[in-house]
This record gives sequence, C-alpha cells and structure tokens, in this order.
Amino acid sequence: MTDANTPAIACRNLWQVFGQGAEKALTDALARSGDDAEKAAAELREHGFIPAVQNANFDVRDGELFVIMGLSGSGKSTLIRCISQLLPGTGGEIRIDGDNVRGAPKKKLTELRRKKMGMVFQHFGLFPHMTVAENVAYPLRVQGVGRKERLARAQEVISLVGLEGREDSFPRQLSGGQRQRVGIARSLAVNPDIWFLDEPFSALDPLIRRQLQDEFLRIQATLKKSIVFITHDIAEALKLADRIAIMRDGKIVQIGTPSDIVLRPVDDYVREFSKDVAKGQHAKVASVMRPGDAERGPDDPGLTVNMTLDAALARCMALYEPVPVHDETGAIVGTVNPSDLAAALQVDDA
Amino acid sequence: MTVAADVPTPARAHLTAGAQAALITLIVGALCLALEPHVPWLVKWPASWEVPATQWVGAFLDWFLNAIKPAARLFSDLMAYPMNWANFVLGNTPWPILIGLVTALGWYLGGLPMAALGFLGLGFVLASGYWAESMNTLALVAVSVPVALIVGSAIGILANEVPRVKSVVQAVLDIMQTVPTFAYLTPLLLLFGFGPVVGLIASAIYAAPPMARNVMLGLERVEPEIKEAAIMSGGTRFQQLFQVEIPAAATQIMVGVNQCLMAALSMVIIAAVIGGFNDIGWEVLLTMRKAQFGESLLAGMVIVVFAVVIDRMSGTLATERQRYDNRVVWAVLGFAVLFTLLFWARLPNPSELTLLDPVAQAVDSGLTAFTQDNGPWLDALKNNSMFYVLLPLRIGLDQAVLPFTWGFQWTPAMSFGLFAVGAAIALLMAWRGHLTGGLVTLILIGMLETGIANLPWPFVLTGAAALGWVAGGWRLAALSVALLSTILISGLWERALLSLYLSGAAVFFCAVVGGLIGLASAVWSPVWKIVRPICDMLQTIPLFVFLIPVLMVFQIGEFSAFLAICAYAIVPMIRYTRHGLVNTPDEMMEAAIASGATEWQIMRDVRAPYAAPTILLGLNQTILYAFAMLVIAALIGTTGLGQSIYLALGQADVGLGISAGAAMAILALIADRMVQGFAEERRKALGL
Repeated sequence: MTDANTPAIACRNLWQVFGQGAEKALTDALARSGDDAEKAAAELREHGFIPAVQNANFDVRDGELFVIMGLSGSGKSTLIRCISQLLPGTGGEIRIDGDNVRGAPKKKLTELRRKKMGMVFQHFGLFPHMTVAENVAYPLRVQGVGRKERLARAQEVISLVGLEGREDSFPRQLSGGQRQRVGIARSLAVNPDIWFLDEPFSALDPLIRRQLQDEFLRIQATLKKSIVFITHDIAEALKLADRIAIMRDGKIVQIGTPSDIVLRPVDDYVREFSKDVAKGQHAKVASVMRPGDAERGPDDPGLTVNMTLDAALARCMALYEPVPVHDETGAIVGTVNPSDLAAALQVDDA
Repeated sequence: MTVAADVPTPARAHLTAGAQAALITLIVGALCLALEPHVPWLVKWPASWEVPATQWVGAFLDWFLNAIKPAARLFSDLMAYPMNWANFVLGNTPWPILIGLVTALGWYLGGLPMAALGFLGLGFVLASGYWAESMNTLALVAVSVPVALIVGSAIGILANEVPRVKSVVQAVLDIMQTVPTFAYLTPLLLLFGFGPVVGLIASAIYAAPPMARNVMLGLERVEPEIKEAAIMSGGTRFQQLFQVEIPAAATQIMVGVNQCLMAALSMVIIAAVIGGFNDIGWEVLLTMRKAQFGESLLAGMVIVVFAVVIDRMSGTLATERQRYDNRVVWAVLGFAVLFTLLFWARLPNPSELTLLDPVAQAVDSGLTAFTQDNGPWLDALKNNSMFYVLLPLRIGLDQAVLPFTWGFQWTPAMSFGLFAVGAAIALLMAWRGHLTGGLVTLILIGMLETGIANLPWPFVLTGAAALGWVAGGWRLAALSVALLSTILISGLWERALLSLYLSGAAVFFCAVVGGLIGLASAVWSPVWKIVRPICDMLQTIPLFVFLIPVLMVFQIGEFSAFLAICAYAIVPMIRYTRHGLVNTPDEMMEAAIASGATEWQIMRDVRAPYAAPTILLGLNQTILYAFAMLVIAALIGTTGLGQSIYLALGQADVGLGISAGAAMAILALIADRMVQGFAEERRKALGL
C-alpha cells in the first residue's frame, strides 16, 4: 500500500458539522447544492448547524511539517481533531498512509494511536496524578509494556526534550515551558510517524515560546516526522512550516509555502495576515526566480535558491541587471532581476 | 438628561411580564376575597372533591412492597452479617486501641492537628459514658458508608459513560434531594421490619446520591485535553477511565466521600426515631422525651464530636496532602496496644464512666435556673413572636388580632382600612414607575390579611403559575400548577399550606438576617472571622442535634421548630451572600472607584447586582434546607406535612408517609425551579 508517493495524511472533502443529525443534513445539503461546498455550508448554517470544517482537501507528505493557521473560531482545532479522530468527522475521508480512518472501528483507531500517532495539546493535558516519567511512559503502559522497559524509554525522550532531573516531579511543580516539554516527550514516547501539535506554544511566554520553537525544529530535523501543527500566529507558521494552510470560517482559503503566502496571497484576508510580517525574512529567492540558464558574470553576487529575499537584496544593492541563482551544489538554475526582489518586498498599502 | 425611571408612567400601554403576572394574581385574589361569603369552595377545597390518593398510593405500595418483601428480607438478612460483625468488632475492641487507631489515622491524614482532634474527640466520647452507644452508631455508619460509596460511584460512572442515563440519573438525584429524610423510612420499615437494618439501608440510600453527584461532577470537570491525551495515548475506554479520568477527578470524588460520610452519619442518627437499636441518636431522643436536657445535650455533643472528627479527617482527603512520618503512626498504635495490655485488668468499662455526669447535671440545674431567671423575658420573646408575627402570617390578621393578644378585636372596617392603605401605597409606587412593585405590595397585604393557611386555592394556583411564568416561562407555570393540583385533590392541601407558612416564615427570616450577616461579613472581614467557624460548625452538626438547644430553652412548640429551622437554613444564605459580594471582579470595582463612586454606591450599583445570581442560589439552598429541617422539626411540634410524615412513620402508614413526602418534595421542587429560574435570568442579564 504504502510507497514513497503515498502522502502520510490525505484529507478528501472532509467535513465536520455540529448539530443533531448532522450527517444526514450534510448529505442532503450536498445533494441539493450539487456538491457546492459554499452553498451547502450556507444551507447548513441556516438550519442551525455549525459547519466547523467545510470540505477540507490537502495532503501532508512524509516528513513534511504542515502548519494550519487561522484565527480562533476558524475551525483549525476542529480540523486537527478530525484528523486524529478525536472527533468523528461528518463527511469525506481521512487517509493515513492511504487507509481511510474516518469511522474506522474503535479497535483499529486505538491500534493506530498506539503505534503511529502522537499529540501535543495547547494546555498540555498532563495527567495531574502522575510524575513526569509516568506521564511520558503512559502511552507505553496502556500497551502493556513492562515498567522497567517503559521507564527506560521515557528516560530517552525526557533527555531528548532536556528535562533530565525532573522525572519524579509532578506537573504542578513545573513551569509552563517545562510542562509542554513533558507533553512533547509523551507524544514521542511510542516513536510515532505522525505528530499532531495543537497550538503547542500558544500558552507560553514569548521568550519560552521562541526557545521551544527552536528546539522543536532541532528535534524535527533529526526525527523527520510527518507533522500537523496548529497555530494562530503567522510568524510562528512562517518560521516553522514547510507548507501552510490558512483557514477562515471553516474553510481552507490557501495552501502554500511560506513564500507563497507572503508574496502571493489569494485574497485580502490572507494579505491582511502577511501585512505585518517582514516579507524579506520569510520569502525565499526561489519564489521570484525565473528558471533558465544564465552566464556566470564577473559580478555574480552568489545568490542561492534558499536565501531569504532580505539577504539576496543586500547582496545586489548596486546591481540592475538580472543575476544568476545557484542551487545547493552551486549550479546555476535561474536568474532573478534585482528590481523584482525589491518589488516583492514592497509593502502594499491596500 | 432624563432618567426613564423618573418619568411618571401611570398607565403604560404595554405591561411588563412581571406586572401582567402580578395583575392577574391580584385580580384572582380579589375575586376570591369578594366571593368568599357566597362561594365557600373557593377558599376551602371541599372534602367531597378530594380523591383518596393517599389510600391509593398506600394500597399500591403495600402491594408492591409485599411483592418484593422476600427479596428485601433476604437482603436484610445478608446485611445483618456485616453489621453484626462490625458491631462485634467495634463493641469488643478495647477502647484504648480504638482511640489509638483514630489518633494514628488522624496523624496519617493531617498531622498533629488531626491526631489531636481524633484523640480529644474520642476522649470526650469515652468520658461521656456513651461509648457503647457511640460504637453502635459507628457500626451502622461503617457498614452503610461502603455500600453508599460503591453504589454511588457505580451510578456516577454509569451516568458518565451512558449519556442517555445521565439526564435520568440527574433528575432522580434532584428529586431525591428534595424528598424529606423521614419519608424514606416508612416504606423501608414495611420492607425490612423494625431493627437497625432499616437505619442502615436508609442511610445508604441517603448517602449514595452525594457520592454519585460528585463522581459525575468530577469526571465531567476533568479537562477535555486530559481526556484527549488519554485517548491519543491509545488507552482503551477502561484504561482511560480508571487510569486517567478517575484519578484526575480524585479531589472532587473525595469531596463526595466526605459528603457521603456526613450524610450517612446524619441519617443513622435520624433513623433512631424508629428505635430498636441502642445507639446514640436513640439516647438523645430518650433523654429529650424525659426532659433530661443535660444528658440530652451531652449525647448531642457526642454526635457533634463524631461529625466534626469524621468531617475534618475525611475533608483532608480532598485537599492536597502532605506526607507525615509513618513512624509516628506505628508509635501511636504500639503505645495503644501496650497500654491495653498493661492495664488490661484495670481498664474501666466505658459504659460505667461518669466523668461528665456532673457536667450534665450542672447544665440541667443551670438551665433550670436560667429559664427561671429569664422566664418572663424568654416567654415574652416567644409569645410576642408567636402572636405578632407567626400567627398573623399563619391565619391572617383578621383571625389573629384578638382582644386577648393584641388588645382589640379586628373589624371589617380595619380590613377595609388596611386595603385602602395598601392601595394608596400601590398607587404611589405605580406613579413612581414601579407598577409591579405596587401590585406585589397589594398582594402581600392581602396575604397578610388572610393568612397563608387560609389562602384561597385559586389564588395560590394563579400565583404559582404567575411566578413560574415570570421565572421560567409557560413550561414552569404548567408544571407548578399541575404538581400543586395533585396536592390539592389528594387532600393534603391544608397541611401543605401550613408547611408552606412555617418554612416560608423561616426562609424569610433567614433571607433577611442571613443576607445582612453575609453583607456584614463581606464588608468587614473581622465579622467573617467570627461568622465563618460558626457556619462551618452549623453545617457539620447533624440535623437532629439542632432540636436540643431550642427545646431546652423554649420547650415544644412551633416557635422552637421555627428557631431550629432558621438555625439550620440560615447558613447557605450567609455563605452565598458573602461569596457573591466578595467575588465582584476587581476590574469592575476599580472602574467604579475610578468613576468616583462611594463605598455605598459601589455596593448598591456594582456589587449587589453582580452578586444577585449567587445570592439567589443561596436563597434556593436555604429553601431546600428549610424543607429538610421542617420534617425533622416535626419531632418537636409543627403542624403540616412534616407532622403527617412523622405520624405515618409511627403508624407504618406507607400511603400517608409517601404522599406527604411527595407533597413536600413537590413544594421544594417548585420553589427550587422558580428561584433557579430567576437566578438564571439574572445571570443571562449580566452575560455570565
């Protein structure tokens, strides 16, 4: 079943509608509107239902860090709970490694959670009556792993998140940042392939938040999990994501790389988000490059595809002609016009 | 700038809901008064219209109880084993060992203070000479509590797991809370026969609901993310529940254990009225009947000591606990065993200890001296309260005002004058924009004239419907009328009105006095420092014990019952009032201060409105407490439903007992729903 091209997670026409008898109402609404999601959602709302997730479609590739960004009430937390099947979902499919799990039997879901999934929660969700080590070892305990073995494994993950020495503390004795480290360690205890993080850093102070973001990136660099990461903070999304999905009122309005989101917002709503971020720090040269060959001139500033626009612009301040862009190996893969660089960074007044 | 309320609006085109309801009630009341001489059935529901519902209920229950009697008897035989066993163990363990055990337990749970409490408490029990009786009581509690804990937890967990069961369980628990304790006893008596097992089962039935409630509440309140984390860890439902959710809810569940223990103790003591078991509650009753108030008080103190020890020790379970040195536990136990062995031959029989008898006698003689010295004053207090407050409330000014008490005879002209004054006040208030207030004033004056016990039934039904409608819409109005009508046609109406009058008077007193004490406690913290331990104490004391002091001073009668009800029911009013007032958000207070409001203005305009929903909940609790105590107070002389329930117990009349109990429950239920409705409305209005 699984091969290199099967996405780790695939959502197809996923709906989560709240209200009594939502399943039937959704089927009816979709039938009446001819599968037009907008119309169906409007109709559902009219009848007192809450379509919290409407027709979500996206793939999360193996090892990809996929961020879902939106304001509170946009449905992002509902969406991640659908994917992890904490909520049943009302329509559509969720494929994990190609297998539809929506409405799968309880036993299969439990098995999936024991082997393949880990989740981190906004308010940590630590068990107050267990020590740090017991918390982290709990996912192994439910599988019947022996005490010694599971505590040894817990010790490994605790070291990974830098909490050595706090194994016997209770959650109430820890600071917010430390608690979330426990949450992260617990979600990694069974070494899952898929990692869900629901606003993991939102409840933390800005300084701690940045520290944990950096550590999270460090962990991900070695573990290479397939990640669904929820946040309401555009800067966090741009900093961490391979790709970002932006949600509004239950709909995904744009999916793209950080550069796409910053440079090519699909509508004013997305533009509004990226307005305050320094685009030059997040967009990459690749997003404004014209592919093709170019000659290696004497004043090649040495731009690479993964350079941020800010860095690139700094190197060709005095240049007016298109300059070549190199890939990681140094080969020229395209050109970029310095004026395009400057144009891309222009702050829109709209 | 004009303020809406200051604009005179004597005749508004659109009346508010409250004004409409009050107006309709007033018209019905006035019609009843006017037609009274011609149509007597308007006031008094004719006996010939009554349905013998009590007999029907009795016949049905007799049949039903007889049908399940064999099973019940079997159960009771089974329960006799653990009970006899517990009795044997507690009765035959030498007292130094039991005191040592309790002291060690106290140390384990709460360190030195709890150990001292346990030691002194049991020491007092020993010195009182009621050791054997206390152990009998304790044996009942020791068996009924585990039963209640298991049943309560099972119900709570079941309700948590099966959403459909939950609403049913919630409704049943709500109703059980309003059914008076004595009402359980009569059918149990029929089922299980006389004997301690009835007390045991009654106390298990009474103590299980708080456990179930707290288990449900605790499980419900476990943070959703903790539940989700358990799911995502791959736990089965069983693992989630027993490894995560129940331990995470431990604090709330321990509150349940505490309440369960207290309820069991309280009920075991109440169950003493059926007799047949030489326990401490029986001792109180016996001495009370013999007017040996010194002994009675001493036995009552033993109950209070037990209540305090059990409450405080189990209370530590619900707080974050420190670990105390276990070596002390072993040392205490070792010492107890050593002491027992060393003095084995010389250990006094605890029943023959009379260390405190002189105290009891001193109390007795002191009391006699006190009542003699202060007799005129106490009598004046009692008689004045009766003649000038309680009696007019009960039978109305037109019957209560007599030359013998008030010095003159009430005449129709005075009635007319009273109504004229009332109408003038109502008009004035309506003129000032408070139409509803004016109408309600007029209604209240009418009620004072007639007396609660003589209120015409159409007026009561209309009034209940009107209140229900304002508080909770048509459904509540319909429910109130339907339920009250069952009381009306079943022939319990007059007794229900009498109960309503006494509990109403007590609730009114509690609301005013308790509200004021709560206000004082909120404003001035030294007051709270004094009031708080008193409240704690009053809430710990089993219902039954409240009767002793009032009886000592005021003898049997309605006034004593009134005082006992007030003493018990005032606590929630004080607590909730203070809590509501103290918990005004700081930001709101600061905004008011920044606006230049004075202390008094802040109280009136900010804190009081914000606290209103909480205070209403306190009133609700006070009402339920008053109804609960009303039945117990029947022991010392009240009329009404409480008395019927008590009589039914004596005559083993299940029909009357259950019907009267149901009628009490109906009154409590309606009052509860209405006050909750008003509280809900206030909360919504405040956006809470």
